[in-house]
Amino acid sequence: MSAPLLELEDISKYYGNIIALTDVSTSVNAGEVTCVLGDNGAGKSTFIKILSGVHQPTDGTVRMNGNEVTFTHPRQSLDAGIATVYQDLAMVPLMSVWRNFWMGAEPTKGRWPIQWIDTKKAKAIAKEELSKMGIDIRDTEQPVGTLSGGERQSVAIARAAYFGAKVLILDEPTSALGVKQSGVVLKYIKAARDRGLGVIFITHNPHHAYPVGDRFVILNRGRSMGNFPKEGLSRDELVRMMAGGAELDQLTHELENE
Amino acid sequence: MTDAAASLPADGMAGSAANGDDERLAYRSIFQRLFIRPEVGAVIGAIGVWTFFWAVSGTFGTAGGSWGWIDIVASSLGIMAVAVSVLMIGGEFDLSSGAMTGATAMLTVFIVKETGELGGLGLPMSVSLLLGLAVALGIGWLNGTMVERTGQPSFIITLATFFSLKGLKLGLANRFVGQIQVASTEEASDYDFWRPIFAGEWERNTHQLEARDFFYTSLPLLGFTILVLAVAELWFARRSTPNTAGMIQFLVGLAFGVAGVGLMHGTDGTGGNVLSAAVITVGVLIGLHGYCQWRFEPLVDRGTIQFDATLRNRLALGIVLVVIGGAVAMVIDSSSEAQFVFPFTVQGIRAIVSVGLMVTGLGLLAMVSQAALSINAATKFVVTTALASGVLLVAAVVFLDSESAKFRASLFTILLAGALIVFAWGLVVSRFEERRFVDRGADRSGYIMMIVGVLSILAGIAFRLLFVTEAELLADIPPTKTSVRVLWFLAFTSVMVWMLARTKFGGWTFAVGGNKEAARQVGVPAGRTKTQLFMIVSFAAWLVGVLVAFRINSIQANTGDGKEFEYIIAAVVGGCLLTGGYGSAAGGAIGAMIMAMPLIGISAARWNTDWRFLFLGVILLVAVVSNRYLRLKAEALRR
Repeated sequence: MSAPLLELEDISKYYGNIIALTDVSTSVNAGEVTCVLGDNGAGKSTFIKILSGVHQPTDGTVRMNGNEVTFTHPRQSLDAGIATVYQDLAMVPLMSVWRNFWMGAEPTKGRWPIQWIDTKKAKAIAKEELSKMGIDIRDTEQPVGTLSGGERQSVAIARAAYFGAKVLILDEPTSALGVKQSGVVLKYIKAARDRGLGVIFITHNPHHAYPVGDRFVILNRGRSMGNFPKEGLSRDELVRMMAGGAELDQLTHELENE
Repeated sequence: MTDAAASLPADGMAGSAANGDDERLAYRSIFQRLFIRPEVGAVIGAIGVWTFFWAVSGTFGTAGGSWGWIDIVASSLGIMAVAVSVLMIGGEFDLSSGAMTGATAMLTVFIVKETGELGGLGLPMSVSLLLGLAVALGIGWLNGTMVERTGQPSFIITLATFFSLKGLKLGLANRFVGQIQVASTEEASDYDFWRPIFAGEWERNTHQLEARDFFYTSLPLLGFTILVLAVAELWFARRSTPNTAGMIQFLVGLAFGVAGVGLMHGTDGTGGNVLSAAVITVGVLIGLHGYCQWRFEPLVDRGTIQFDATLRNRLALGIVLVVIGGAVAMVIDSSSEAQFVFPFTVQGIRAIVSVGLMVTGLGLLAMVSQAALSINAATKFVVTTALASGVLLVAAVVFLDSESAKFRASLFTILLAGALIVFAWGLVVSRFEERRFVDRGADRSGYIMMIVGVLSILAGIAFRLLFVTEAELLADIPPTKTSVRVLWFLAFTSVMVWMLARTKFGGWTFAVGGNKEAARQVGVPAGRTKTQLFMIVSFAAWLVGVLVAFRINSIQANTGDGKEFEYIIAAVVGGCLLTGGYGSAAGGAIGAMIMAMPLIGISAARWNTDWRFLFLGVILLVAVVSNRYLRLKAEALRR
């Protein structure tokens, strides 16, 4: 098997004397979903920030296609094909779907200074790209603010995929959504995976992670609790590990004794 | 279609698919589609304000009166309102915009004059224009950069700029000129070159031309006709095979209409006017009905109306109010006054009370008709006929009642036209099928017709404004001048409208106004975009300053101060959202027109001009409330 699309080896991050992340290793292959699970304060945000180039790891190596890389600026990570879809989605609610899809990189016609947006092309591509993801937007002129949470998430994913992302980092895409909408987003994650993207799915919900994940990293207080492939891992085990394993037993014990 | 899409909620499902459109795209009627434009409220408001002043004053509607407010829009308010709208869409304010117009005007004059006096070398105008532009753009850049760097609200930053500019203007004028007024640019060597560009004026064409009078009456009528047919095209369902009998009927109606207009043109007496109006009315009804018969599906009946208690009460109350309104108008004695002095006379109060009562009554009847209109064809016709009769009654009362000939004639005309519209509307909606599905072909022809109609109306108005009519020649009214400022205004507005709608930068303007952080995250240079927006405003301020400098030649140091709020009002009236991310440049221009019309209209009606502030306040309030309502409606429709 060739080198994974993105590989992290013993990544650590210290903020001064605070240890945010120690010795985390995992990998993402093209067409696979790696789930990063962890409770609040487990180091998920630091993990994202290292991959998206906001912070640099104190220790450890990041490899893309087998080559060691360092990202010192968000732009570098983007250029390398790592796109992050943040929780707040980076969308303008009053603007239409196609405008949001293209925002910042609109296709133009004509020469400077008389340049204008090729609206026909932009709308057609936006609609096509969205339907490739299995998102059937009724009207690309619709303002994003009128879409449901799941649909918005999907527009953000489709946008990242279209603009050359190879690795897609999704920051808690289901945390603000209801059960049904979460299911919709999970389907889009699968669709992105089937298009050959490597997906890193950050969540604190093992029930969302298990059905779509191919590999699971569990973080707890900045430590990696392991890097498991899906084979041989049952849903119950995942839930138990996620909940803190022995710690949860302790907590249950304490609560019951009060 | 994958399983993901299949499981998506299919709300908005209605109507059938056509031409490869998404079948879940609900059909939106012509009115719903128009209402999602941000400037639609302003257009309605502008027409309303214009009609009001046209009705109450003798000179407002004439070419001279029109040029009065057009020049206010063109020379200062309009250009700035458009620029401030664009900035507001980008989510920022510029309180220094008013002071900046004065500053650039002063600087332009100042440089020429002072250098002339100091060393006798007298810099040419071109240099002072360029220097003024550089300074203005510099101030804009400074505003933008300070807002970006400090992260403070632009309200505060530009307030600081405003006071600094104001102080600089006063201080420098006192220091160098010894007074707070700077006069005359005429001594510049290339003054004669620049004057026609910034202050060119020409008299309205007075050459005798038969065709001219024909154009300015026929073009708007033609345009209006096409507009009505365009609305029908967008409103009703097309027949698969056109009905020839309908086409003949349409042509007959058209012939009646043309004959009526010709008759009106050739007559002066009341009898002739009434006759020609009758012929036109018949022509309109036959023609409209014929057109619909020719092109649209006949109506399929959908059952009968359920007259519940609410509907019955409204109907009764509506009729009672209309009758009482009429009675009030008849009973109270009138004092005779030549000029209709609004509103502090017995007559004025009576007019308000009677018309108010009748309009409220008609409103109630309209509610009843709205309930009835979705049901049975016969009911539709009865209800709209009743409504039209009510309007006719109001028209009759107005005609018999008021002593002011101008007020009476104009209001009477408006009401007659209103009655005709209501009746014609009832006629067609009770006989033809409304379209409830997407039809791209009909939409396209409807839109094209709409554009042709509007252009035709505008062309007619332009004829009226640019050429002196025969009647005016005979009456020996001194010809008003038109100026090149209008062209500057039109050019600037067009460029801004195009920029917002079609360019990257326009999209980024909406993006930084709607959600700056989001825009930044996907790679929009948010800071640079905002700074450039501030520079657009300062460019506009420079342009307006130069136009002012060339127009009046003598600049007060406080010129333009305090105008910034008028620009902001115009932008808000034009549909811009105060918080950014929504609005239109054309709306700002129309907002400026709404602001400028009362300035001329109030004096044309011979009221005290101080009333205009009340007017501005009321307009702002009404505009904000109605724009919010329209926007919420628009968003609900898009869901």
